[in-house]
Amino acid sequence: MRENIFAELYNKLLGFFRQAEEEESAKDVACNRLRVVLMQDRTNLTPQLLERMRGELVELLSKYLEMDKEALELNLDQEGEQMALMLSIPVIRAKDEAEIEKALAEEEAKEDAEEIDETGESEEVQPQDFEKTDENPAEDSDTDDVAEEKPAEKVEEKPVKKFPDKEICGDCRECELSDDIECEKKQQSSGIKKQTKKGS
Amino acid sequence: MSGRVIVITSGKGGVGKTTASANIGTALAKLGNKVVMIDTDLGLRNLDLLLGLENRIVYTIVDVVEERCKLKQALVKDKKNPNLCLLAAAQTRDKSAVTEEQLKDICEKLKKDYDYILVDCPAGIEQGFQNAVAGATEAIVVTTPEMSAVRDADRIIGLLEAKEEIESYRLLLNRVRPNLIKSKDMMSVDDVVEILSADLIGIIPEDTGIITSTNKGEPIVNDEKSLAGRAYMNVARRITGEEIEFMNLEETSMVAKVKKFFKGLMGKEN
Repeated sequence: MRENIFAELYNKLLGFFRQAEEEESAKDVACNRLRVVLMQDRTNLTPQLLERMRGELVELLSKYLEMDKEALELNLDQEGEQMALMLSIPVIRAKDEAEIEKALAEEEAKEDAEEIDETGESEEVQPQDFEKTDENPAEDSDTDDVAEEKPAEKVEEKPVKKFPDKEICGDCRECELSDDIECEKKQQSSGIKKQTKKGS
Repeated sequence: MSGRVIVITSGKGGVGKTTASANIGTALAKLGNKVVMIDTDLGLRNLDLLLGLENRIVYTIVDVVEERCKLKQALVKDKKNPNLCLLAAAQTRDKSAVTEEQLKDICEKLKKDYDYILVDCPAGIEQGFQNAVAGATEAIVVTTPEMSAVRDADRIIGLLEAKEEIESYRLLLNRVRPNLIKSKDMMSVDDVVEILSADLIGIIPEDTGIITSTNKGEPIVNDEKSLAGRAYMNVARRITGEEIEFMNLEETSMVAKVKKFFKGLMGKEN
C-alpha cells in the first residue's frame, strides 16, 4: 500500500518534469518565428521572386533529372552571419545520357530559333490576352526600359510549344506561376506592346 | 575638445528611447562629463518632460535652424546638474522643419564645447530617423525582448550598417523581466543578442520606478537604490570606456534549484 503511494507520487513528479521539457516554450516559439521573419526581411527576395526562381530551377534541373516537381522545397536559412539557400529535391531517377542530350539539343534548337526570330517580325506577333495593359500604366513606364534592352524574344516563344505536359504560365511559357501571381514577362511584353503602339 | 555624437534609436515606438536618452545623459553628466541632449522628435517632443524641464524651454531646435536665436540661447540647463543641457524639439512643427545638413551642422558646433551629444531619435525609419542619424558617429539601438521590437531593431541595424558615418552601434535591452525569462515565457538576453548578432551595451530590468520617475520629471538614475537606475549608470560607464560586468538578473531561486536537482536525478535514471 505504502509503496503504491510512493510509486504514484514518483510517476506524477516525473510526468510533471517531462511535460515541462517536451512542450515548446513561448520563448522558443518566438525565437523560431523571429528567425524566419528576419531572414525574409534581410533579403530583397519577395515570395513572387522566390516562386519564379523555383520555377526556373525546376526547368533547369529537369534536363538532367526526373524529379517530383511539386515537392521541391526552396528555403533560405541562416547560420550565424552566413546565409544559405537550402534546396531539397526528391529525385525520382537520374536521366540517361540520351535523354539529357535530347533535352540539351532541344534547348539549343530553341535558342537558334530565337536568334532567327529576333531579326524578324517583332511587331506582328502580338500576344492575344493583354487586356490588363491599360490598367497598369505605372508598371508600363517601369518596364519600358527593360523592354528596350531586350528585344521581343519572349513574345516569339509563344507559338512554340516545348513543354506541353507542364502546367505553365500562359504568358511566357517558362515559369510555372499560378494564376494569382502576375508573370513578370507578361508585364515586360505588355511594355513592348505599348511601345510598338507608340511607334506605329 | 571634440565630443562624441551618439544617436539613440529603436525603430519601434514605446520601447524606451526617450527614457534611455534622459537617463544615459543624466548619468554621463553625473560622471563629470559635459553633455547636451538633442530631442529630434519634432511635433512629439517628450524629453523635456522626462527631465522636468518643460517649463524652461524658450527656444527650440527649429528656432536655431531658422535663426531666431543663437545655438547657445536654445540650450536649457538641467535643474540639478550644470553639466547637462537640452536642445528641445519644436512641438508645433513636423519632421521637415529641420534637414539632415542642418542637424549635422548643429552637432559639429556642439562637439567643440561638449563631451557627449546624445540625439534622441523619433520612432520610425523615415525622415525623422535620417535627420537624427545624420550627425552621429555612434548609435545605441534600444529594444525589448519582444518579437516586434526585435524585428524593428534588426531593420534599424540594417539601416545603420549602410551609413558610412556610423562607426559603431550597440544594443540596449530594455524592460527585461527575469521571472518571465526564467519560466521561458520571454526571450532571454542571450536569445536577442544571438538573433540580432550585435554587441550589448546594457540590460535594463523592468522597473515600476520608471513610471514614478517619469511622473516626477526626475530620471531614475538619480535614485541609486533602484535596479534600473543602477543599470543605466552602468551603461553610462561602459560608454565612457569602463569595463563593467552585466548585472545578473537571473539569480537562481530555491524553486529553480530544486527543479534542477530533480532533472539531474531523472537524467541518471533514464
